[in-house]
This record gives sequence, C-alpha cells and structure tokens, in this order.
Amino acid sequence: MNANETPPTTEPPSASLAPSASANPADYPAARAPTTSRRSFLKAGGMLSLSSLMGAGALMTQSGEAHAAAEWAEHFQKNYRLMTDAEKDEARQRLERRYSQEYEKPVTVDITGPQPGVLMGYALNVRKCIGCRRCVKACVAENNQSRGERPGERIEWIQVLRMERGEFSEDKMDHGYPEGLGIQVGGNAYTPAGQVLEGQYHYTPEAVPEKDATYMPIACMQCEKPPCVKVCPVRTTYREGDGPVVIDYNWCIGCRMCMGACPYWARRINLTTPVLPKADMNPVTHYLGNRPRMRGVVEKCHWCLQRTRQGRYPACVEVCPVGARKFGNLLDPNSEVSLILARKNVFRLKAEMNTFPKFFYFYD
Amino acid sequence: MKQLMRFATDYAGYVLKGGAKFYIWMACLAALIVGMMYVFYLQNTDGLIVTGMTSQIHDGLYFANLVFLVGVAAGAVTIVFPAYVYHHEGMHKVTVLGEMLAISAVIMVTMFVFAHMGRPDRLWHMIPIIGIYSLNSMLGWDVLVLMGYLLLNIICGFYYLWVKYTGREVNKTFFMPLVYISIVWALTIHTVTAFLISTMPARPMWFHSMMPIRFITTAFAAGPCLIILAFLIIRNNTKMWIEDSAIKLLATIITWCLGIAIFLTLSEVVVELYLRTEHANGLYYLMFGLHGLTRLVPWFWASAILMVGAFFLFLMPSVRNNMKLLPIPCVMAFCGIWIEKGMGLIVPGFIPSPIGEVTEYYPTFVEILMTVGIWAFGFFILTILLKGAIGILQGEIKYGGQAVAAK
Amino acid sequence: MMKKSVLHTIFIALVALGGGALITACSDHSAPPAAPATQEQAQATPPEPTPEAAAPQEAKEVVCFESRQGGATDIIQHEIQPGLLNVKCSPTTSAALWYGDPYADTVPMGKMPLLESIPDDKAVVRPRSEKLNLLAMCGTACHNNTLPPADRVPPTLPKNNHPAPIPTMEGMLPEIANLQHGRGRIWCLECHHTTQRNMLVDHFGDPISFDQPQLLCGKCHGDKLRDWRDGIHGKRIGEWASTGKKRWFVCTECHNPHNVQDGERNRGFIQLQPETPPQLPHGMVDADYEKLHPIPH
Repeated sequence: MNANETPPTTEPPSASLAPSASANPADYPAARAPTTSRRSFLKAGGMLSLSSLMGAGALMTQSGEAHAAAEWAEHFQKNYRLMTDAEKDEARQRLERRYSQEYEKPVTVDITGPQPGVLMGYALNVRKCIGCRRCVKACVAENNQSRGERPGERIEWIQVLRMERGEFSEDKMDHGYPEGLGIQVGGNAYTPAGQVLEGQYHYTPEAVPEKDATYMPIACMQCEKPPCVKVCPVRTTYREGDGPVVIDYNWCIGCRMCMGACPYWARRINLTTPVLPKADMNPVTHYLGNRPRMRGVVEKCHWCLQRTRQGRYPACVEVCPVGARKFGNLLDPNSEVSLILARKNVFRLKAEMNTFPKFFYFYD
Repeated sequence: MKQLMRFATDYAGYVLKGGAKFYIWMACLAALIVGMMYVFYLQNTDGLIVTGMTSQIHDGLYFANLVFLVGVAAGAVTIVFPAYVYHHEGMHKVTVLGEMLAISAVIMVTMFVFAHMGRPDRLWHMIPIIGIYSLNSMLGWDVLVLMGYLLLNIICGFYYLWVKYTGREVNKTFFMPLVYISIVWALTIHTVTAFLISTMPARPMWFHSMMPIRFITTAFAAGPCLIILAFLIIRNNTKMWIEDSAIKLLATIITWCLGIAIFLTLSEVVVELYLRTEHANGLYYLMFGLHGLTRLVPWFWASAILMVGAFFLFLMPSVRNNMKLLPIPCVMAFCGIWIEKGMGLIVPGFIPSPIGEVTEYYPTFVEILMTVGIWAFGFFILTILLKGAIGILQGEIKYGGQAVAAK
Repeated sequence: MMKKSVLHTIFIALVALGGGALITACSDHSAPPAAPATQEQAQATPPEPTPEAAAPQEAKEVVCFESRQGGATDIIQHEIQPGLLNVKCSPTTSAALWYGDPYADTVPMGKMPLLESIPDDKAVVRPRSEKLNLLAMCGTACHNNTLPPADRVPPTLPKNNHPAPIPTMEGMLPEIANLQHGRGRIWCLECHHTTQRNMLVDHFGDPISFDQPQLLCGKCHGDKLRDWRDGIHGKRIGEWASTGKKRWFVCTECHNPHNVQDGERNRGFIQLQPETPPQLPHGMVDADYEKLHPIPH
C-alpha cells in the first residue's frame, strides 16, 4: 500500500483497522475527479514505462480513442502484482478514461491495496437462509457481471442450492436396497434426508422458504490454501494480503485450470464479451474487483474489493433480507465473524479438501 | 550451410511432388484446415460461446483431443524403445517414422491448446522472462515436457534424416543420449498430462493415482494402432517396405497394453461402484446416466465394446498376423480409446459439478469443425513429414545426387 | 365484558405493528369503497405501497421493500448523483438489491444497554415511528375524540355522517385472531403500552419507541438480543469494521411479531417471492431433471 495510490477521500489506511473512509460510494466519482491532475502531474514527472510507450504508439497510429489506446497498452501490460506503484496508477488512469468513455459516465478504478491488520472473513447462517437469491442478484448489480440472453452470457457468482429436507416414513420401510438373493441390505435411509450438495439450482416456487426445503448459498470461499492459485500457469490469480483471492483479468489466459481445481465451483468463464448495459454498469470499481471484464477470462467473487477496501460491507451482506450473511475482520476479536467463530457452531464446506476457507457456515 | 540449404530445398521439392491421389488427399485436408481457420477466427472474435463449453463443463472436445493426442505422441516410443534398447531390426529401419508421428501429434496438441484457451493472444504470458512461468502449475510442467518432447523428436528425427541425406555416419555420442532421453521423456509427457487432471481433488472422477498408468497403457495402445495403420498405408502406397516383424511387434504391444487398460478400467468400475459414494457420480453418469440425463451412456458402452472387441481380435493370431485384417482391430481400438480418454474421461469429470450440479455437454458444429480441422492439419503435417522421411530413407533424396545405400 | 371492551380499546393500537399493509389500505381507500376490501389489502402483500396517503401520484415511482414485504420498510428509488441510484430494486420482486446510500433517512439509534460506548453517529436506524404513529392516531381519534388534521384522517374513520361499517380489529389484522406469538400465552398488552398507543412497553410499564423494539423483544428473547447486539443475529449495513458506522435493522424490520409462527414456513420470516433462477447452460432445455430423485439407487 502506497499512500499516493490512495484517493484523498480515504483516510490513511494505518489510521485504524477499519478504513472508515467513504463508505458512501456516492462520494467517489466527485471526490476522485481532483486527483486526476495530481496523477497527470506524477505522470509528467517522468514515468516512461513500457506501457506508456505503447500507449503513445497507439496514439501515433491515429487511434485516438481511449478505448483503442487502452486496449493496445493492455496487450503489453505486466502482471498487476509486478507493476510498480506508478505503473498501477497509470493503468488505473487508462482504464478510468476507457471505461468512462465506454459507459458514458464517470467511472473510477480503485487500486487500494490490502489494509494492514485486516484479514477478511465471512460467515453465513445456513439456518437463516430462505433461498430468496437476493444475494445473487445484488452481486450481479454490484460486480458488473455479464447479463445477456444467450446461454452462457449470464454470469452469477453465487449459487443457491435448494435441498430437500427428506423424510422417513413408514410406507417406505420395505423399500430397501439392494435385494439380491432376497437379502435386503439397506432400508429407507436412501431417501435424501439432509443430503448435502445434491440440491436443485433452478427452483422456482411461488414463495420461499418452503417448508420441506433448506437452502445453501455457495460462492468463492477465499481459501487460505487455494487450489486455483496453485494450478494457475501464469500466476494471474493469487491471494491478496488481506485474504481474498483475486484475478488480474488482464493477465488471465483463459486456460480454465483454476475452474477445474476449485472444489466449490466458484469460478466462471466469460465465454464472450460480457453484456453490460451502460445504465446498469456500476461505476465504482476496483482493478482486482468488479471492473468490467473482457472475453475469455475467468472471474469470481472477490468479496466486493471495491467496497470492502473502502470499509463497506459486501453487496450480498447488505441485501440479505434475513441477515444470514456476516462479514468482518478475523483479526479483530470484536468483529462479527470473530464473535461467530467464538460463539457459534461453525463448519467449512468440504473441509476435507484442506483448502481452509475463510468463508464459514454456522447455525444458531 | 550450403548442405543445409540444399537439404531444405530438396526436401521441399520432394514432398511437394506427388500423384493425383496425393494431391486429392492434401486438398481435402486443406479444405478442412481452411474451415478450422474460419472457426478459430470466430472463436477469437465471438469467444468460446460459439462452442458447447459452459462454466459448468469448461473443458470439452479440445481438451479431450489434447489429452488423447499427447498419448499418441507418447506412443511413438513403442517404436523407438524396441529399436534402440532391444535392437529390433525391423523397427530400427522405421524409427524415424515414429518420430515424425510424434512431431505431428505434438503439433496437434499445441493447436488444441490454442483452440482451448479463452485468450490465445495472451499465451505469451506463459513465456519465461517476458511473462510468468509457474512450475507450481501442472500445466506449466505439461507445456515444458511437451515442448521438450517436440524439440527432442525434431532433433532426433531430422538429425537422423540429415545424416542419411548427407551419407555420413551417425554420431553416436551425440545421438544415443538424446534417443534414451526421448524414451524416458515420452513417458513423462503422458504422465504429466495425467497429473494435469488427476491432481485435482475437486474432481473426484479424476482424482486417483491410477490415472498415469491408465494414460500410459491407453497411449501405448492407441499410438501404435495409428502407427500400424500408417505403416500399412505406406507399405501399400510407397516404395518403402516395412517388415512384418515390426508390425507384429507393434500388434503385440497393443494387445497387452490394451488388455492392461481394460483391466484398469474394470478395476476402477468395481472400486468406484461397489459402495458408490458421491465421488463416483461422474462414473455413474458416464455408465448409466444421472438425474435421467444420459447423453454419454452410448459413448461409454460403444467404447467398451470397441476396446474389448479389439482386444479379443488382437488375441487371435489369425487376425493379428493377417495384414489384411489387422486394420480392423486397430481402428476399433483407436476409436475406443479416443472415446474413453476424450468424451469418456474429460466430460464426465465435470458432471456433476463439484457442488453437485448436473448439466450435459452439447458440442457445437464450430467445435466439431475445429476438432476435425486440427486433425486434418495434423495429418497434413504427418503426410509431409512421412513423405520426406521415406524419400530420404529410400535414398530418393540425397546430397549431391551421389548414391548412398540406405542402411 | 370488561375484557372485551379493553380489546376493543386497544385494537387500533395493534394496527400499528401491522405496518405498511394498512398504510396501503389507507392510500387505496381514501374514497369510501366497500370496507371488506380492507381485509384483503391487509393480507395481501402490496406490490407498490405509497408512503403518504395525500402524496400525489407521480409518473412511476419505483419502490423497493427491504427485509420483509408488506410495508415494514420501503425505499423510493431516486438518483443521489448523476448515474448513481440510492437503491436498485429487483424488477421481478421489487426487493431492494443494492444500496447506493446505506444511511438514507436514518437517525441515531439511541442508547442501548451495553452499547453505550458506540458513538451516536456510528449506529443508526431507519425510524418507522412516524409511519406507525399515523395508525396509532386511529386509537386516539376513536377513543379520545381528538381528530387528526383533515388531510390525515385515516380511512378507518368515517368521512361524513353517513353510517359506514368500521373494520374490526381482526378484519384489519387477521393474524391476531389466533395470535401464535407465544402460543397463546401472551396478548396485546404484553407488548403494547396501555395508554400510549404509539408506544411499546417494557418490564416496568414504561413506554418504548417503535424504533427500538429490541428493548421489548429482548425481554423474552434474551439470547437473540445478545447476538443482535454483537451483530451475529440480524442485519446491518454500512461499514464492516466493528468500529464502523452501521445502519442496524431492528427486530420488526425483519420479523412481523403478529405472525412469527406460521404453518407454511419454518423460519421467523414472511415468505417472499424468490429472484429468478440462474441461466440454463448451453444445450439444456429445462431443469426438470433436478427434481428427479437426485441419486438412482
């Protein structure tokens, strides 16, 4: 974290555990505007990186549009983690110009890094979840996912599974399994009572919660030992210092190894250029977070970096009508997640995978 | 240097000349290649949405063919190994043909990699120094061994041809170590490809240590099948005569590798399905369907029948030693293994998804055309390489026109 | 006899917790149509509740509901900055899906026992008293004969001298006929203040604001109160840091105390229409296969 990357609206990150900052994104576009001149000054101050040369090259080839220039420069851009602060800032400006032009509104691209003393954690009360899928849609509204009509054009990062409660009933007593040689091996325990991960994804009842069902939302677990990171051949996906596993969309080659390695099916591939209507585009973005993606790259939940790095709750937490979703700093003993870990019965999904998720399920 | 220039021009001149059959064959392949280039363009403008791949089933035909062709490339070792380790006379004469097959198979693999990538334009990100090369990633290792294998085969194959062309003696201190390395290397390419998918606990269908040996046995069955077919075509269409002993040895290798492959498959079926856990759902989907979705079931059983049928045919000396009948079990085994390792292994790995969603794979025309086109490209390359190699081995191309007896 | 009259006295006060459902009834029935319709209105989940009866109907207001449908808390969509909305609503269910400004229309929560250390500006709630007071006025109007201003006359009051049917308490709040909260062991005045109709009541008989129902609910649900205080139970929006500014959702914003128990569901929430399911991937026609028995045995 370098101070001069931080927008002036943000308090110095070291000031508190909580970057109380402007949790109100309404402040961003206006607040960001004055910083541009400072950045231009910095740029004029003699940063001649490869990418700026490339940008210049683009200008010389008469493609004056920010879009073309940005795209040209992006082809030669380094992996985000290897960029110097100056290069990051330059990439940010380039993207801000490009997106603002493309979506016809002031778009900000945040590059705030991890805050010291923060390890993000998430907890979800499975007993409370009513399966309304509001988190799913909130996530889409916040994170600029593709929302087209062709199959594969609609991307949602959160999946909500509906699982039958199942039942044991007397009339099923003799429906055993299997019955070779007249010997019954099993009983009616084969009814799916409390079965995990055999759920329905496309349930459409009139109203939820249904009496005979439970619900289980699943998204990226932000593992401490993420298999997706290990299998990435170009190290474009990595764990950030404050916990979330992120992707440099510009470095991703779309090989989808990470999708195969993820035990939680948290990752999605942009099969085509994402369909993102201008009006629906969320202009408050983060470089590693919800900035508009491109064709052929993988994306996933990043705990709303553009919000959480500025102190705001993730979007799914804020819209959950039953308050099942909890987010906070695992290093702060008074945070909501820490208290849940201290007080509630907690489990991690597929703990046997040794991925050590920072996403915890709990129940009262 | 002058020799090298002459080699190139002689070689090109030779392979470009041919009869009507040759031109028709090449024209058909070229047509398919043009189609492949068009769909590659589509894929890189519209994106992978033109294929049947989804976020659920994100590796399809391309990855399946990639895996299969790595096996074919590795299969070339079934020629090199007997030739150099057991000094098999018949094999020794045709070693270089196996190397040419390996080269074309690896080139096809590379093309399938390009087809598979969401952003082939960014593949340079994998190049060390200008990009980031991660040896944490099995894909990183796979690229390393594949490129190494390609290089080894090009060096070994073309060095041998060069020697034949110029009429010198093979420099054994330079050549033999490379040959031995390439033998071991052939094993690594398929092992690492198996690791590519078997190191993912998220996909229980692949997550078992039997994968590498299954891969190698199927590879050493499918690869020689293709080689036998190529040999028989060469025998019947060119001046080059390939000895029966070589073909028979390959048939024997196929027989036992196929037998072991079938045995391993059966073992897996028993282990997985005896007390079927959720982890066996992929295999169950493949064999019987899941949630009433059964698209892959006919493929699995077709593959099983083809492989078992081919195995029994190979066991029969009357078929195995009959050069007229031999192509039948070869084609059967080749197709059976292609299904088993392709659609039958890659696709059900994604069904159900790690969190239990069951969807099916519907490959599109674009995908099929791309696959066929890449195969056509591979055969195009293979034809050229084999033709040139045969020309040199037969002494039809040689430096300065001086007659050099083929060894 | 005595009991009956007391019931009659307090019935309108109870309306207060019925919340926005009735407010809708107010707005929709400012003209005097048949009274029985009120009952349906109270039961139904009104899709577009209008907050003020007198407010002129403008073009097309987008109103989202927050945690529970039926008028507990609604937000009217507007732009807080060019290109930035205060809230985004679901086109299918009109649920609030995204907050541009989490603190809109909030006031400091006020001091809570054991939470005195939280600065006033760090814990805020969205007050509903005003909205609910309007209904509480019914009680005062009927029983104390102090009529509200003419433009705020609740529809339950006769507009002229012609006799009109007055909806009964049960007509307006059908769920209280068989109040399941407490399984029949509690009744209206356990929660509602005897004399101050727009207030709840604590253990000592002192009034509690409708904006702080946790003080009332915590009387019985102490464990939930503790979890709520720590942020484990219930919902908060705003900043995630334990010292950050948050809007706290109070009990009645999510739970309807009059029908927390209901046969058709299993949690303390009113049933909601779910959002649309995910897109079917390429090639799949429908998702009926999901309903087949998950595993063939």
